[in-house]
Amino acid sequence: FRLNIEGLLVYFPYDYIYPEQYSYMLELKRTLDAKVCYNPFIKLISSCMQYAYPLEVTKLVYCSRTVPEIEKVVEELRKLMDYYAKQTGVKNDFLALALSSRKNLCIHPEVSSLRFGKEVDGKCHSLTASYIRAQHHSNPSQPVCQFFEEFDAVGRQVPIPPGIYNLDDLKDFGRRKGWCPYFLARYAILHANIVVYSYHYLLDPKIADLVSKELAKKSVVVFDEAHNIDNVCIDSMSVNITRRTLDRCQTNVETLQNTISRIKETDAAKLREEYRRLVEGLKEANVARETDIYLSNPVLPDEILQEAVPGSIRTAEHFVGFIKRFLEYLKARLRIHHVVQESAPQFLKDIYEKVCIDRKPLRFCAERLRSLLRTLEIADIADFSAITLISHFATLVSTYSKGFTIIIEPFEDRTPTIANPVLHFSCMDPSIAIKPVFGRFQSVIITSGTLSPLDIYPRILDFRPVTMASFTMTLARTCLCPLIVGRGNDQVAMTSKFETREDFAVIRNYGNLLLEMSAIVPDGIVAFFTSYIYMENIVASWYEQGILENIQRNKLIFIETQDAAETSMALEKYQEACENGRGAILLSVARGKVSEGIDFVHHFGRAVIMFGVPYVYTQSRILKARLEYLRDQFQIRENDFLTFDAMRHAAQCVGRAIRGKTDYGLMIFADKRYARADKRGKLPRWIQEHLTDGSLNLTIDETVQLSKHFLRQMAQPFRREDQLGLSLLTLEQLQSEDMLQKIAQIAQQA
Amino acid sequence: MDEEPERAKRWEGGYERTWEVLKEDESGSLKATVEDILFQAKRKRVFESHGQVRLGMMRHLFVIIDSSRSMEDHDLKPNRLTSTLKVTCAASVNCTILSQIGIITTKNKRAEKLTDLAGNPKKHIAALKKAVDSTCVGEPSLYNSLNLAMQTLKHMPAHTSKEILVVFSSLTTCDPANIYELIKTLNGLKIRVSVIGLSAEVRVCTILTRETGGSYNVILDESHFKELLILHVKPPPASSSSECSLIRMGFPQHAIASMSDQDAKPSFSMSHLDSAGEPELTLGGYYCPQCRAKYTELPVECKVCGLTLVSAPHLARSFHHLFPLEAFQETPLEEYEAERFCEACQGELKDKSVFTCLACKKVFCVECDLFIHDTLHCCPGCMQTDRMS
Repeated sequence: FRLNIEGLLVYFPYDYIYPEQYSYMLELKRTLDAKVCYNPFIKLISSCMQYAYPLEVTKLVYCSRTVPEIEKVVEELRKLMDYYAKQTGVKNDFLALALSSRKNLCIHPEVSSLRFGKEVDGKCHSLTASYIRAQHHSNPSQPVCQFFEEFDAVGRQVPIPPGIYNLDDLKDFGRRKGWCPYFLARYAILHANIVVYSYHYLLDPKIADLVSKELAKKSVVVFDEAHNIDNVCIDSMSVNITRRTLDRCQTNVETLQNTISRIKETDAAKLREEYRRLVEGLKEANVARETDIYLSNPVLPDEILQEAVPGSIRTAEHFVGFIKRFLEYLKARLRIHHVVQESAPQFLKDIYEKVCIDRKPLRFCAERLRSLLRTLEIADIADFSAITLISHFATLVSTYSKGFTIIIEPFEDRTPTIANPVLHFSCMDPSIAIKPVFGRFQSVIITSGTLSPLDIYPRILDFRPVTMASFTMTLARTCLCPLIVGRGNDQVAMTSKFETREDFAVIRNYGNLLLEMSAIVPDGIVAFFTSYIYMENIVASWYEQGILENIQRNKLIFIETQDAAETSMALEKYQEACENGRGAILLSVARGKVSEGIDFVHHFGRAVIMFGVPYVYTQSRILKARLEYLRDQFQIRENDFLTFDAMRHAAQCVGRAIRGKTDYGLMIFADKRYARADKRGKLPRWIQEHLTDGSLNLTIDETVQLSKHFLRQMAQPFRREDQLGLSLLTLEQLQSEDMLQKIAQIAQQA
Repeated sequence: MDEEPERAKRWEGGYERTWEVLKEDESGSLKATVEDILFQAKRKRVFESHGQVRLGMMRHLFVIIDSSRSMEDHDLKPNRLTSTLKVTCAASVNCTILSQIGIITTKNKRAEKLTDLAGNPKKHIAALKKAVDSTCVGEPSLYNSLNLAMQTLKHMPAHTSKEILVVFSSLTTCDPANIYELIKTLNGLKIRVSVIGLSAEVRVCTILTRETGGSYNVILDESHFKELLILHVKPPPASSSSECSLIRMGFPQHAIASMSDQDAKPSFSMSHLDSAGEPELTLGGYYCPQCRAKYTELPVECKVCGLTLVSAPHLARSFHHLFPLEAFQETPLEEYEAERFCEACQGELKDKSVFTCLACKKVFCVECDLFIHDTLHCCPGCMQTDRMS
């Protein structure tokens, strides 16, 4: 039906609407020209902003995290567009598409059969690089990708017909036309109305530079599932250098050297041409940025655009020599026996004293290397990832004096005898990576089901939100049942606190909890541990005590491992066991793959058990440095941040079970620390509301009793009519006076 | 962590929050809420009349009773198994006479036929009583028990309604093959499967009942369990595709012969042929009008000529399912202004609501309303007016 939200006509493709959705749209409309921070309940809500969209803005960039999420958003869009066309009768020329990596989009028979994303990228490059194609002209036996050739020949002139394309649609379209879907999509996002992709494409400077830099300024950017956005920002700016990286870099340098000397003999003009270009400087890029065509790149700071590349690294040989020196210096630094932590200026001073490398040429390192690789026509960029990494490091370390720290560790903490030196160049300020996004786009919307507490996000991302609101959810029945279990039946406190986590009684009680739950919860249970090591310890101990055997009489057990292939296999079997009535338990790890991207709808997750509080490994030096930085820069206390981080992951884990209003699930927090107000208060509002005083600090027995009752209640027939008027509204109900008042209470301004 | 020991004592049982349902009224007394709960419980049964729908009166029903480990749970008193058997006994007595019931139990991954399809409830009740003492071990197998029931049901004629009712306590099932294939077959054979869950909603049961057109309910407590089971006593609407056919039935007279009668010869009943019990010589009995075979009990299918033998009162008792008594109109007591006594029991009307028969406008109390609808199946007020006119 059609809605009128404060003068804006919105097409809504369903017959019923959740009150929260309406409220969300309302808030959104009021603040569409600003940076917003929201906390909705489910996915559907966040995509409903698209409903408001076609009349307002020119371009929407929708960033989500995983491929399935991206697909879901595209499906929603498709529904909307069908409805829109039906209502208005106008066939609008509207283009929306999803973009993913080559691995998900490639249709080349050989390349697409490769298993790892990196291999696919490398292989693709070796078939599509410009100089390979040039060789192909003279020597037809040189293999090229016919899909790319076809696209390059005609694809750019003919615009992709309007419509909604998910990844499969793109592939189909590509196959029909014989065009490469990946390059087609990359080209098409420039004129598409809605782009849906992973937020690495916008936040990671290396990728953003290739993909997203030409997005129009008036775009609206949405980050969905953004509760982790600070970590993504930090990861995208951090560099880790191991000895292996350096070794590979060494080979890269040698290759470069050989290529240079060869080219010098055959084609010296090319190098001279490059030199000339470098003297002129990066003027072109500068002009582009000033005229505001491109999204600025944090790796390419503004100042260096004004200047020419310094003379010392202008010729190819000099630059290679320079890199070599830098490499030797890094090697020397890695040859240490104790942990060193220093700031970027300290590092620069040291490098100047030791090997006489100035700050200025270092800053141009990344740009210079790119130019060189282009000039030398090196096809397989994937091979040069090591040297590219080093050059990025050089540029970053010389550009930012604040917000980064350098930590050199001679060995891992867990294996102090094995020398494995690592240089962490760690970003501590997520705002550096996200700044260009905030700076460039008209409105940025940050939204997730588990953004809680809201006020910490603006602080760590360093922006001023125009609106912050968190929405509760209206339910016709209480379909979630959060319980905090603090004690075993023997009254021993259950906690994953460091001092007691190896305690026999704690492990036994955790085992008993799982055993009891496995007997009363139907179909699937997902259990989360705080880390892989802890999970291994506990499971081993359960095995010795025979608890595992008892559990297996009720349900099958599957375990998430660090191997992605193994995990997806376990997941598949887990779902099968849930489907055919055998019942299963999935043991997994908070912060792991399962906790982040996988939904356990309905019978796949009738209960989630969170064993312990998922704190990060607090002894890590990188974390310590970050905490210190947060305290100094943003006045956020260490403990607050750690708790905030732990609770958002816990919420993320337990939130896996409930993915809609007809779904139901138990959420069991098995640690007595959850009962404390500082932890409880950091859970999302929609969980907190259902956490009564009666469900804090329960024993296992009490938990079982409450769960049994809950599960029986939820198994009673539940029809759509029961929801109508309460949590599901028709248009008439929506327009009634008292409902509007109720809706006004849903959004809580933070 | 060894096998749960026998927890017979009440205080060793589970932890319950029985007080949570109770709420104090303004004066701080619990009485009002307790009465309210009782009243609600009485009225809970919904009289849903099917209107003019063909009912599958000829039923072939297999009751599958889970007797796996989980049946030893004490949340129904004294344990799930005993409670289930008790309730099933009560229900099977009420079952219509035209239907045939069989009972299957499943434990230890196997299914076992307790009684074969038969119309006479006595045998089932005896078998169920015996089963109370059996131990509950292992896991149930939904596949095996459904398969066992299906083997018998698939030979039943198309005009009958073929049903399976599963009383499922466990949350898992241990199957030898893919159960979804079996569900497809059941669907093809038009066997309707309904499930009553004793603990929680299990996915495979949801699918099973949805695909085969049955109902799936999970019990809240013992009384809810009883209600759900009673719902299954009522014959379901026949599927439109089932055939119509005439069925021959015999109505044998009971021939009584006294010991003094010289002509009477004692003889064996035909039904003793396959029963394990001691054959008994009796004088009188029911004689099949077609082949003169003797039976001591009705209803029964003639062993010799296959004729269904019933008695007229039996058949009459099935009648009310086809023409159920219409629900009485409920009005609050305050609005009712005539004399406050119940037409049936002549007692004073004290409950919150009174019930008026729409046909004869007589007024009844809650208790009598329930009795009339559940047991009598006809309104005493209407009967009286009929006789008078």
